[in-house]
Amino acid sequence: MHPLRKQRLYVVLSILLGTVIAALLVFKGLSENINLFYSPSDLQKAQINTQIRVGGMVRKDSIIRVENSLRVSFVITDFEEDLVVNYDGILPDLFSEEAGIVAKGKINEEGIFVANEVLAKHDENYMPPEVAKALKDKK
Amino acid sequence: MIAEIGHLLLIGSLVVSFLAGFSPLLRFLTKDDFFYEVISPLNNLVFLLIFLSFVSLIYSFLIDDFSVAYIANNSNTLLPVYYKLAATWGAHEGSLLLWILCLCFWSTSYFFLNRKKDVEFVALTLSVLNQIIFAFIAFTLFTSNPFERLLPIAPFEGADLNPLLQDFAFTIHPPLLYLGYSGLAVPFALSLSALISKKIDSIWARDARLWSLLSSGFLTLGIALGSWWAYYELGWGGWWFWDPVENAAFVPWLISVAMFHSLIVTERRGLYKNWSILLSILAFAASILGTFLVRSGILTSVHAFALDPERGVFILAIFAYFILGSLIFYSIMNNKLPGRSTYNMISKEFGFLLNNILLVILAISIMFGTLFPLIYEAIYDGEQISVGAPYYEVLILPFAIALSFLQGVGLYLGWSSTREFNFLNRVLIESFSLFIVMSLLVFLIFGTLNWGTFLAIAMFSWIFSGNFIDMVYQSSQVKELKLVLLRRLGMISAHLGTAFLILGVGIVTTFSLEREVVLQKGESYQLGSTNFVFKEIRESKGPNYSVRSAAIEIRKGGLVDEISAEKRNYLASNQILTEAAIKPTLLQDYYVTLGDQVGDGKWSFKLQIKPFIRWIWFGAILIALGTFVSSFRQTKRL
Repeated sequence: MHPLRKQRLYVVLSILLGTVIAALLVFKGLSENINLFYSPSDLQKAQINTQIRVGGMVRKDSIIRVENSLRVSFVITDFEEDLVVNYDGILPDLFSEEAGIVAKGKINEEGIFVANEVLAKHDENYMPPEVAKALKDKK
Repeated sequence: MIAEIGHLLLIGSLVVSFLAGFSPLLRFLTKDDFFYEVISPLNNLVFLLIFLSFVSLIYSFLIDDFSVAYIANNSNTLLPVYYKLAATWGAHEGSLLLWILCLCFWSTSYFFLNRKKDVEFVALTLSVLNQIIFAFIAFTLFTSNPFERLLPIAPFEGADLNPLLQDFAFTIHPPLLYLGYSGLAVPFALSLSALISKKIDSIWARDARLWSLLSSGFLTLGIALGSWWAYYELGWGGWWFWDPVENAAFVPWLISVAMFHSLIVTERRGLYKNWSILLSILAFAASILGTFLVRSGILTSVHAFALDPERGVFILAIFAYFILGSLIFYSIMNNKLPGRSTYNMISKEFGFLLNNILLVILAISIMFGTLFPLIYEAIYDGEQISVGAPYYEVLILPFAIALSFLQGVGLYLGWSSTREFNFLNRVLIESFSLFIVMSLLVFLIFGTLNWGTFLAIAMFSWIFSGNFIDMVYQSSQVKELKLVLLRRLGMISAHLGTAFLILGVGIVTTFSLEREVVLQKGESYQLGSTNFVFKEIRESKGPNYSVRSAAIEIRKGGLVDEISAEKRNYLASNQILTEAAIKPTLLQDYYVTLGDQVGDGKWSFKLQIKPFIRWIWFGAILIALGTFVSSFRQTKRL
């Protein structure tokens, strides 16, 4: 084969190989690591015991702490449906009543959301885009 | 009054940059060279105007002019003077102005480094840069004007700068990052004017390489600083979150690294010209796309300020004009580029090619993951998803392994073909002995080892021996070694930086300890071999906040230190901010975050031990230093 041809062949082959490997990784990565987002009222569509994200406003007077432990329970709402969230850990600074939050975790058989991560975003005026959208859709 | 002057200066710079940007059209119509000569003075004038406009914004911040909406939203009379200065780029409007200032700084530096060169070429490059400057000034003026007044009634007090941003690292993070982002416009402009004037030679490659090295260096510093800031300020103890905005800076970084490597081949061997030009377009595209992702608020992110579709559409229009325009132009012009020669498969050329393929595919895959939520939402009618960090972790590992493999062997390869390659003796023995030594050391420190650590140590040893130990081993005299090291100083520094960074990442991911606990006054908790003792709660006051802090004693054998984990209440915004207590040491960081009061005298804490985390940023600094050394060399060769 002509050396220039051969060289091109190698170049094309290595690009192809790289792309195929990357495509496989992307496919594998995406199929395992996508977290669907739900608001409390479309939660019945969610599968139980699967990692999802939920978002809404923390309902007033709904935060219950278990004395002497990190366990806490609160209710988030999109003004249509409510959802009880249980969490065992330190809550972020901006977590408070009537703040918009996003929680990552799983819904259990009793319909309670067991969170492993609670996010309240940085600015007091800030609403996570999903929460803002979910609240807007319901109004 | 000062704010009006700033506003007028900004409008003035809009007009001047338009003239500088489109003057080549007049040259084309009239064939009068005056329209080329006029571009560089106009360009320098734009820099001056933008600089003064920026200064007037800073001045308005310093005198607390709350009749300016941007200042009322982002400053406060209680804010310390230093942060008033930094608040200038604390939010969207001002940071855009800073972006433009950085770009003007680069375009003017370009002019001063090349003022004795071919007038037409320099004029064309500057005109492309000024079109970009024009577009961004227009964007600022029409969608996000920092000088907009709150009239007739101005507030007496400002809303304060976001407490998270009242911090030293934050104040220099945006300027560094923007110098990196906007610097990528220069190789882009150089490529376009090279396509127009058909002068794509080694001089062009040298020039383009200088600017991609510089951008890359500033991006490295900016990203590392952002990572460090997130680590100590956000209180989670993480140093990288695969947040869309982090990705938006990481992708241009990857492409700029690919670009300056590819430009080495273009400069030395006259190869990969088309590819280098395409990379410069891609890099600038990634830079604008990054700005778009940060500024439009379409992705959930710590940096997303507000949902503003108007801004998003404007940036997309800028993106379409420059990137689609240049890609179309490229596809018309690129076939006419000469320069083909052959090389062996085991050669520097092919090594650089593989490096580029890996970096670019990695960049595209990361970008795909970042944009995937948008694609998904469009396909599945508003269903919202997020792509978790594990996606990126799965993705990056094989690429990191392949890239460090190349990095370790790259220096043994010769141009066009490699003659002697005593693989076994040199690379394998050297790196393997280092691997054994490092593994033993890590085992002595942590008392355990696992596959992840072995992998990180292997990559570290491989890169380290290929880029340093082998040179020591091969040089017979100290003088010779000195010469070799000095000649390759930039590259060695950058490559060793990568090695340290990989080692740091590997160890911090595998050996970090963390636990959330409830502690009573006087009680202690043992994490690993370290004891954390909760001494007491204290109340105090800062300049614009009140503090509640927990005194924590760290004991490991003897007393290591006493640190204080704080919760601050910023008075102006009534915002609570956790300030983590961190005790950094060479081998590990002790990291304590104060939670809430959960009972009588009982508080919750998050305790963490982060081994080798400093090595990540140390590595990044070495990488940045390396690119700066190399770019300094490059200016001498211009």
